[in-house]
Amino acid sequence: MMSANHGTMMARRVVITGCSAITPIGRTREEIVRHLVDGISGVKKLRDDGLLTSHMHSGVYGTVDYPIAYDFKRSHRKTMGPVSFYACQVAKETLEASGLDQAFITSGRLGVAFGSTHGSPSAQRDIYRTFFTESKQQFAGIGAVDYLKSMVHTTAVNITKMFGITGRVISSSTACTTSSQSIGFGYETVKFGMQDAMLCGGADEYDTTTVAVFDNLLACSTEFNATPHLTPRPFDVSRDGLVVGEGAGAVLLEEYEHAKKRGARILGEVIGFSCNNNGGDLILPNIHGITKTIALALDVAAIDPGQVDFISAHATATKMGDVIEAQAIGSLYGDGPVVTGLKSYMGHTMGSCGAIEAIITLYVMEAGFIPPTLNLDEVDERCAMIRHAVHLLEQPIRIAAVQNFAFGGVNTCFILKKFDG
Amino acid sequence: MERDAIKAAIIRIFDEKFEIVGPGADDNLRDAYEFDSIDAVELLHEIEILLDTRLTQAEKKNAMEIRTINQIVDYIEALARDRCLATPSGPE
Repeated sequence: MMSANHGTMMARRVVITGCSAITPIGRTREEIVRHLVDGISGVKKLRDDGLLTSHMHSGVYGTVDYPIAYDFKRSHRKTMGPVSFYACQVAKETLEASGLDQAFITSGRLGVAFGSTHGSPSAQRDIYRTFFTESKQQFAGIGAVDYLKSMVHTTAVNITKMFGITGRVISSSTACTTSSQSIGFGYETVKFGMQDAMLCGGADEYDTTTVAVFDNLLACSTEFNATPHLTPRPFDVSRDGLVVGEGAGAVLLEEYEHAKKRGARILGEVIGFSCNNNGGDLILPNIHGITKTIALALDVAAIDPGQVDFISAHATATKMGDVIEAQAIGSLYGDGPVVTGLKSYMGHTMGSCGAIEAIITLYVMEAGFIPPTLNLDEVDERCAMIRHAVHLLEQPIRIAAVQNFAFGGVNTCFILKKFDG
Repeated sequence: MERDAIKAAIIRIFDEKFEIVGPGADDNLRDAYEFDSIDAVELLHEIEILLDTRLTQAEKKNAMEIRTINQIVDYIEALARDRCLATPSGPE
């Protein structure tokens, strides 16, 4: 096992001093908490894209259906696809919330860890449309900004450009673990002194390509197209697959002494992170890989399983994924911590899910309650060995684990602690 | 294409594509409007559409030192002239 201090390297405390999210259940802390308390879903009918939707079986989507007022100037907008608009908006709000000054932001001591599932799919479609269009527009082929809008690291570098950030850039693109890797790698970067702060997160825009991929793999929910709010149903006996969604989340990770010295408001502390791979199949959930990830995160955080109060499970509502995750949690934690599948409220926001679930965990940590898994009417007996949140619990959370697992066999887990000085 | 018509077309492109309204004929576009190399490449694409022609790599590289609206109009006039000389019947 890896030691908590990773050998002789300097280990510093890493705290969270800002966050912001764009989710299917709202933008602000108040809106998101209201949806959790009142059990309101952000899953809606999948809107027609005029291309793929008519060929798919799944007709539901975790939808951001409210207007967002962007005030970005043209020189910033011109290299952004929709995914970067999301990313830069939450980054902007996170930096504002953190209170970091411009001198620090541009000093080189702040870096960015931000990603998306595959850049901007709508920008990529525009490129392909150019190739297949009989018009003089073809003359120039790919436009000067098309690649900058569509590339995998488009979110990270549009953020650096907008704010003049000159520190290191990490841009993971590992599907469902994209933003949990952002937070985890950002945490390690600050912990081991490579940067004093990291702006971390992920984003994904409205995109039917991803839905089509999961639909083809028979992994999408299809039985609730007429009642979108009743799906996904993590751990429920009648779950029928995941629901793809859109969104963005950002957190500002900062070295504790730096945050303390400037009097920053501290929202929570990251005390551990792990990432591994199943070392085999790229799709099937793997209990050994997942169990090892969770155990490693606890080891890095130097805590016992009994100290964890709450688990934000990956819980996509696929048939086997939920069973494997429940078994892994059960084998390490028993029925101790309360487990919630937050995707039940908003679907699977893909590259942004880890960051959004971390932010929601911070919100409920502060509010002192645990939201139930939505649509969990009857627990699948194969998932029954853990302590499910079947109704809202007014219960303080001191330590929480956020788990995410991705296609490609990538697993992550990070541990958040309520800040207590 | 007359110089005034070229200038009017360029002013329209700057408005519609680059959100730069009424730039001065001799304003340094980079300094005054953050018009950078990415914008320049996009502008070359618009010029190709305007002239209904395709620019060579050499012609595009020659454009990279252009800084003002007047220089852009000069550049387009030269392109049109070259093409008329090469193809007396008009643009391809």
